[in-house]
Amino acid sequence: MNWGRVGSAPFFEIFSLRTEGTYLNHRKRESFRQFMNKESTAGFVFSLPFTIGFFVFMVVPMGLSLFYSFCDYNILAPPVFVGAKNYIKMFTDDVIFLKTIGVTFYFALVSVPLRLVFALMVALILYKTTRITGFYRAAYYLPSIIGGSVAVAILWKRMFATDGVVNQLLRLSGVNSSFPWLGNVNTAIWTLIILAVWQFGSSMLIFLSSLKQIPVTLYEAARVDGAGKVSQFFRITLPLLTPTIFFNLVMQMINGFLAFTQCFIITQGKPLNSTLFYTVYMYQQSFEFYNTGYGAALAWVMLAIIGFITMILFATKRFWVYTGGV
Amino acid sequence: MKKRMALLMTGVLAVASLAGCGGSKTSATTAAPETTKETQTTAAAKQDGGKLTMSWWGNQVRNERTQAALDLYAEKNPGITIEGQFSEWSDYWNKLATSAAGQSIPDIVQMDYMYIDQYVKNDLLVDLKPYIDDKTLDVSNITENTMATGTVEGGVYAICAGINSPAMMYNKTLLDQNGITVKDYLTIDEFEELCRQIYKKTGYKTSIVYGTAQTYLDYFMRAYDVVLFGDKKMGGTKESYIPFFEMYTRGLKEGWLIDPGVFAEISVGSVEQDPMVYGSSPDTMSWCAFANSNQLTAIQKAAPEGVTVGMTTWPSPDPKKSGYLKSSQFFSIGAHTKNAEEAVKVLNFLVNSSDANNILLGERGVPASSKIAEELSPKMDPINQEIIRYINEVITPNSSPINPPQPDGASEVFNLLNQVQEQLCYGAYDAATAAEEFYNGANKIMSQK
Amino acid sequence: MKTKKRMGDIVYHILVCGFGLIMVYPLIWMIMSSFKETSTIFTTAGQLIPKKFVLTNYATGWRGFAKTGFVVFFRNSFFIAVVATLGTVFSSAFVAYGLARCKFFGRKFLFVAMLLSMMLPAQVLMIPQYLWFQKLGWVGSYRPLIIPYYFAIQGFFIYLMINFIDGIPRELDEAAKIDGCSYYSIFARIMLPLITPAMITASIFSFMWRWDDFLSALLYVNESAKYPVSLALKLFSDPGSSSDYGAMFAMATLSILPAVIIFICLQKYLVEGISTSGLKG
Repeated sequence: MNWGRVGSAPFFEIFSLRTEGTYLNHRKRESFRQFMNKESTAGFVFSLPFTIGFFVFMVVPMGLSLFYSFCDYNILAPPVFVGAKNYIKMFTDDVIFLKTIGVTFYFALVSVPLRLVFALMVALILYKTTRITGFYRAAYYLPSIIGGSVAVAILWKRMFATDGVVNQLLRLSGVNSSFPWLGNVNTAIWTLIILAVWQFGSSMLIFLSSLKQIPVTLYEAARVDGAGKVSQFFRITLPLLTPTIFFNLVMQMINGFLAFTQCFIITQGKPLNSTLFYTVYMYQQSFEFYNTGYGAALAWVMLAIIGFITMILFATKRFWVYTGGV
Repeated sequence: MKKRMALLMTGVLAVASLAGCGGSKTSATTAAPETTKETQTTAAAKQDGGKLTMSWWGNQVRNERTQAALDLYAEKNPGITIEGQFSEWSDYWNKLATSAAGQSIPDIVQMDYMYIDQYVKNDLLVDLKPYIDDKTLDVSNITENTMATGTVEGGVYAICAGINSPAMMYNKTLLDQNGITVKDYLTIDEFEELCRQIYKKTGYKTSIVYGTAQTYLDYFMRAYDVVLFGDKKMGGTKESYIPFFEMYTRGLKEGWLIDPGVFAEISVGSVEQDPMVYGSSPDTMSWCAFANSNQLTAIQKAAPEGVTVGMTTWPSPDPKKSGYLKSSQFFSIGAHTKNAEEAVKVLNFLVNSSDANNILLGERGVPASSKIAEELSPKMDPINQEIIRYINEVITPNSSPINPPQPDGASEVFNLLNQVQEQLCYGAYDAATAAEEFYNGANKIMSQK
Repeated sequence: MKTKKRMGDIVYHILVCGFGLIMVYPLIWMIMSSFKETSTIFTTAGQLIPKKFVLTNYATGWRGFAKTGFVVFFRNSFFIAVVATLGTVFSSAFVAYGLARCKFFGRKFLFVAMLLSMMLPAQVLMIPQYLWFQKLGWVGSYRPLIIPYYFAIQGFFIYLMINFIDGIPRELDEAAKIDGCSYYSIFARIMLPLITPAMITASIFSFMWRWDDFLSALLYVNESAKYPVSLALKLFSDPGSSSDYGAMFAMATLSILPAVIIFICLQKYLVEGISTSGLKG
């Protein structure tokens, strides 16, 4: 292929017109072109939309919410600065806070790995493109599309109800069960974990699109060496997928700790706060009890927790993530 | 600023497309200016003085009727347009609170007794007294008791949009089949006896405000002359709350109280999933439901075919002392309105105009104006006639003014109440512990407000 | 040998189909419920097939609210979702290329900023964001729902594409540079085609998320005629009085159709992307 240079010209002309008028000597133009094509300038230009977006749309609201976390604020009246009061209360005088931390860690640490394993397995199974796999992929992706709709909330409760589908299936297989899955403090969280795992579609899609990046030639070479399917998976697919696995892990961990919908639409924390997610508690504080300052403080503590976990993940990256390029 | 932003944006996009060696094209560039144009017209329209907004929560029927009534007003008053903003209940309060933070709440807002105190204390609602005095707002046909529901610390901040009252719904068909009758003004002892009897005869259990105990506790305590909230503390002593929780422990012991696990399988507070109308066996169902009189229509609609729903008072240690009339919801004027005068006129129209109420048809409850209520009565269906009868004959003669609206901190206290109730029903607390946990915890919350 | 492979194929399809059925069961349930009489939805929640198929739910649902039909809500949602998705996908690709391939001052900072911006729950930013957009004069319009996405504010997409670009051999860039191509033309002529699968993945996600997003619509859109579907769907429920679940399910069924169609149309490009041409060896 011919990597022509024609295309870059109009871009510079815009700049030269703006800065120096229509006439420019060749040299000046050349030096400007060189400046624009310097790695550092290019990086700056490319990241400019995000830089602007971050400072304009994120920094101000984030800063405000950080400020609120040091205030008594009930939305309806202006915030009053109270120092670290909210943070102190959280760690010394709030049992539910500790409870929700426990619930959230349990949920995230169980559901995220399960979800990733499922997503990867299904992606591998549906990787082969035949006319029908398109529909299979759609079927496996659908649960993620309906997401947090009311229908899911109602159905999920029906399924795990004492007289629901799950118990009926158990009875069919010989176990006489009328177990109240949703009403029991130990099992209720699992109905939410299953819901989260069921919606593995987004990770699956990302796995699917990265599987394509693995060059077919590698597999061909391996086949010539006499490697079987299993050994191909462990020697080629898995190592080359590690960057994507890492990406999914980081993203899903963040999502897992910030999970909201499952609890909000289905259990609302019942029974006995055994399924109360951190973010739902934060929401209650902010919008139901109007302790918005306290809610903001809760959010920033969560940010610190997630930030710390992400840092640890990034620190482990060099031990298991393949970075050699293809 | 706006213009510069738009320019910048298109600039960035232009760079993006030009960078593509002249070859790549993004359709995004063409889409962007369109957005700006469209949204600017909305902003321009907003500055128009003759434009009012009214917000409410509700269902399809309410949305349609209310908007039709507002359109009628606009038709009769050229130059005025009223934009209806409607949301679902919990969304409604999020949006209203957020716009309050931004000093931009709508001109006319639908209010609830639960929130009115906080909105008034933060100067977010307009005192209607001056408008009543100068006759812009006519309240001559509204009883004093009804007006009192919208009065906070001497100011009138809300007008009743529909009268209702606590009412216990019950499965009349089931009880008739078993020869059991329910009388009005049940005491707690009579109620429990009834629960026992029904459980023995039919297997149906009883559900008592699980997860939504706040209003019932308030009602219950009125019998002991205890007002739930004092100034930064709770009313009564911790002992005074024991009888309320004892009702649950007795029910659990005797088996007629519905298992708390049932409520994990439904959406608490949804009429369609109330154990009275929803469930597969008597074991998970209730013969009664604690509700409000205006919900009779909804519960009857949700009930299985062939079931007639009856309505009586909530049981209480002293039902005649507990009983009160309330507003299913209010209309208020938002403090940030630019045209309060006109907004009040709209409010007056909704409350007093026969034309408007012929459209609204008492969907929000029995109309506050006795004149309008009388006019509408013959046009109503049997269920609504029953509601009017209940309000006029059962409650009105045996009621006293409602307690003052809930102060800041109340929703947190109610959350605590429901958590204590949950512990109690799961057997972790006995009645005395529950009362103590609730009383101490609630006092702590209130003392910090 | 051949029959064995046939058998294997059959087992594969049976397993995948069977499991797929479990996956879509809730959806089937919702569709079936939308054909039930609304009063029987709960009483017959255990039965999948309606005793009597009715279309009234679709009729009442489609009627919408207060003179605004559902068709308007659909149009609004399409507009918002499509325009915002275009913005987010292209701007994210643009930024991702810079962060992945160029070393420059502030790169690390931007990377951390991108990750951090994902770690605050959306609910806590609701009020500050509202106040800020109000300062900008954007409340009551679609601007807050669209313009920010042209500035790649969704770190997820940037990171997704960075990850993808990292998988593309640097030798391609180097070769192009030697041929005299600038960073900008490398991005447009080499990167964009190569990351098509990632961009399609991002488009699917973004469309779906923008379509489902009701929180920002709730706060920033005031006129009911400008509501998107996600917001309108919730209007069928009123916990205090009665909710019309039949109509809600009917409209919810219709509302997932666009995402499903888009997915079915785009999914084959995920794995058959244009990338095949440039990426072997």
